Amino acid sequence: MGGNMTATAEVGAPLETSDADRTDERIAHRGPVQRWLISPEIGALAGAVIVWAFFWGNGKTFGNAGSTLNWLDVAAPTGIMAVGVALLMIGGEFDLSSGTMTGASAIMVGLFSGHFMGEGVNIGWAIGAAFLTAIAIGWFNGTMVNKTGLPSFIVTLATFFVLQGVMLVITRRLALKVQVEGIDERKGYGFFKSWIAHEWTPEEFDLRDNVYVTLVAVGVLVFVVGLCEQAYRRRSGFNLTGVAMFVVGVAVALFAFSSLLHTDGVNDNVIHGTIGGLGLVMAVVGLARSRWHGRTQRLTEALPSAALTRLGIGVAAFVLALLVPLPFDRGNGLPILTWAKPGIRTLIAVAAAALGITLSVRALLPSLRSRRSPMDLLKNLTSSAYAGLVVMCGVLAVLQLSTVQALRAVAMMLLGGVAATMFMSARGIAGKHNTKWQLIIGVLMSAAVVAMALRVRADSDAVKFRTGMVGALVLGAVAILANTVLEYVMDKRTVGHSKADKLGRRLQFAGVLLAVTGQVIRLIYTNPTAERAAQMKADGIPVAQAVLRQTVVWWILITLLGTLVLTKSKWGNWIFAVGGNRDAARAIGVPANKVKVGLFMTVSVLGCLAGTLVALRYGTVQANYGVGLEFEFIIAAVIGGNLLTGGYGSVVGASIGASIMAMSGNGIQVTGWDYNGRFAFLGGVLLLAVLVNNYTRKKALQAR
Amino acid sequence: MNAPLLELRNISKFFGNVTALEDISTRVEAGKVTCVLGDNGAGKSTFIKILSGLHKASEGEYLIDGEPVSFESPREARDRGIATVYQDLAMAPLMSIWRNFFLGAEPMVGPFMRSNFMKKTAREEMAKMGIDVRDVDQEVGTLSGGERQSVAIARAVYFGARVLILDEPTSALGVKQSGVVLRYVRAAAERGLGVIFITHNPNHAYPVGDRFLLLNRGHSLGDFAKSEITQGDMTKLMAGGAELEALQHELAQ
Repeated sequence: MGGNMTATAEVGAPLETSDADRTDERIAHRGPVQRWLISPEIGALAGAVIVWAFFWGNGKTFGNAGSTLNWLDVAAPTGIMAVGVALLMIGGEFDLSSGTMTGASAIMVGLFSGHFMGEGVNIGWAIGAAFLTAIAIGWFNGTMVNKTGLPSFIVTLATFFVLQGVMLVITRRLALKVQVEGIDERKGYGFFKSWIAHEWTPEEFDLRDNVYVTLVAVGVLVFVVGLCEQAYRRRSGFNLTGVAMFVVGVAVALFAFSSLLHTDGVNDNVIHGTIGGLGLVMAVVGLARSRWHGRTQRLTEALPSAALTRLGIGVAAFVLALLVPLPFDRGNGLPILTWAKPGIRTLIAVAAAALGITLSVRALLPSLRSRRSPMDLLKNLTSSAYAGLVVMCGVLAVLQLSTVQALRAVAMMLLGGVAATMFMSARGIAGKHNTKWQLIIGVLMSAAVVAMALRVRADSDAVKFRTGMVGALVLGAVAILANTVLEYVMDKRTVGHSKADKLGRRLQFAGVLLAVTGQVIRLIYTNPTAERAAQMKADGIPVAQAVLRQTVVWWILITLLGTLVLTKSKWGNWIFAVGGNRDAARAIGVPANKVKVGLFMTVSVLGCLAGTLVALRYGTVQANYGVGLEFEFIIAAVIGGNLLTGGYGSVVGASIGASIMAMSGNGIQVTGWDYNGRFAFLGGVLLLAVLVNNYTRKKALQAR
Repeated sequence: MNAPLLELRNISKFFGNVTALEDISTRVEAGKVTCVLGDNGAGKSTFIKILSGLHKASEGEYLIDGEPVSFESPREARDRGIATVYQDLAMAPLMSIWRNFFLGAEPMVGPFMRSNFMKKTAREEMAKMGIDVRDVDQEVGTLSGGERQSVAIARAVYFGARVLILDEPTSALGVKQSGVVLRYVRAAAERGLGVIFITHNPNHAYPVGDRFLLLNRGHSLGDFAKSEITQGDMTKLMAGGAELEALQHELAQ
């Protein structure tokens, strides 16, 4: 192909042959996504999305601004510590004293200022002294581990108990109680609170939603442009039609979306939404035509029967998904087992047991055939019976816990999922043989998603679920349509272009940043203005205040800093190496002992920061505060994909892990379940996370 | 003729009254491979440790570029361009190739690593060894034993090695992988390095070597240029006369 020649000429590196470059290029092309899919934090991210969706579906207020700020606030101290603990874990060590360290620091801030240094001493000195002590404790932990060669588990367990004992004794001696009070009355408290532990209650402003919509829309557009930049060949000329299409498309989309904010009627929403979506598609396609090469050849082979079969299954599943809710009563909140007739209940139980037995017999079949001793047979039979029992209990439990309503929703989603998978697969096959069919299937799929959105809107009584689901489905339809049209009119770049790839990556990053900024603005500026609050009070609507605390800001900053250090600096390299192969690292000249001491000190200092924030926030600290928290930090780090044995992991993952834990707590509270149940929930999440992480790590080592 | 890159004259090493090495002489020239052959207990490890600066020789002269040296530490040896690639390779398996390549000597701009430069360099250096790394971001643990050896060799070469000491690089590898590594040994020599290839396997040594030092129980059985010895002679010398027939038969297979 002629296109290859020109594009090869654009590649800079003279050393590589064009052949080698092409293989390189294909890696770079798929690289980011593929690499991201096997990165340590991917499991945590998926988990976070699932947990969020779960509670969003179950808790009435979960997911609104106030509730989100609430769980962020809970997550922040854990997150700050999880960052340090994760770094230490990647470096191959544990710190069991990290929980007590936070408590001890909070106590120190209180004791140093009021009792130790005497009344009237500025609390700043106490904070400074607490940090110095923390550094010393971290140094002690690290040096002990290095010098003695004992497992850090033991050394820091000792520190944990010593700290706890010392703090209790000193607190009782000096404060005459098991808590330190009156920190908020110390000199300088106000100053440090406003600088270290500030609290904001930002109020909504007039154009907030406009800013939000614009930022998100522009962000998505920039992201898409980034994707195109990586996927298509740049054109040399200038395409006026494309530019015009882009301008008109953007204008239409912005107009439609901004008027969407001012309409309340359902039909108006749908009309404006559709126009806006089509405008976006038009803008993207116009942009693509103006900047990149269009398609020159279209494939016209016969469509393989596999594609047609899949298309058929997809259509059938889609129709079923639309019809399946009909026989069930949508207002029915009864558990399925209670709702079913007794005969059917027995039938379900028997079927579930049979399923379990069948599964286990199938799994055991080879060993049944090979070993004929009666003892073996008996053993196998017992395990089959157990399996049957377990599956039966599981199925019954699920049915008892879920309602008829939920069953409808789940059935609809499952069938919808099958339909979507089949459509996607059919489109993929068509794309290799017949361009026109690819377009047809894509448009069909996008139409089906819109139809599904309309069905959900007509069907659901839950306002929150309906709005969210319809919005997501419509957005999905727009994305599918845009993608389909682009596939039809554009030609994929087959040769490398490292500059374009880099620009594409940057644009994608900028797009995500813009969209997230929009979302954050909507989230933060949430409190009603004074007038509206008064109005709401008069109307009898409860006014809750959402508070953004500086702890959250600290957490985000520390996560960013930790990520930079770990992935971009040489110290990060050394941390990975020390945790992965300590002797090798030392042999090659990495100061392994210094790295470890530094990591222990980092954890202690972060513990002191978390403790100081607690002291400044509450003004009173229990002497045993922080005991047991070390496990939460470790759990957050492990959920985040950090390897317990060291050498692998991520700081962002640990922060996501902390978010999952806080979301679970908040979600369980909001849902109205017993708050203590969160421990059981977290245990399950932890186990699942470790399994997922093991799997991804294995994939990482197998890949390519 | 120029002085060889590295030369040993009548080196001996005693630990108390134990003689580890006695009266060993050989040399390494640029672009040439000197093989050090010996069975277990022949003194190969002591030999490496003297060369890499971990031990000092008790007697004899150690010359680099014709000038006598005495190393106090491995770092000094490394500064003079003597790089040792040990069997365990000194790499972290869960770290990417480029991170391992520059481990301990990361080029920095301010507080950050020059990661693009590092990736590019790692790929280019590997290409010079004749290895096409598909993706320098892949973990070292995903590489085969031979490829891992080549990363270690390329790393040593890039960081200014003039003499490369390879400690049994093929001992843990299968037949095919050994072949791959032998090709890298040759590639390193062709780039102008002096290579010391330590092994117990004459089948691996003979095809790549230019010079052969044969050790047995701390003594030299001879230091030969390739023209002075055949593979058969070498095997004979190493095995000693008695089991010769059986051994030859075994090796022929």
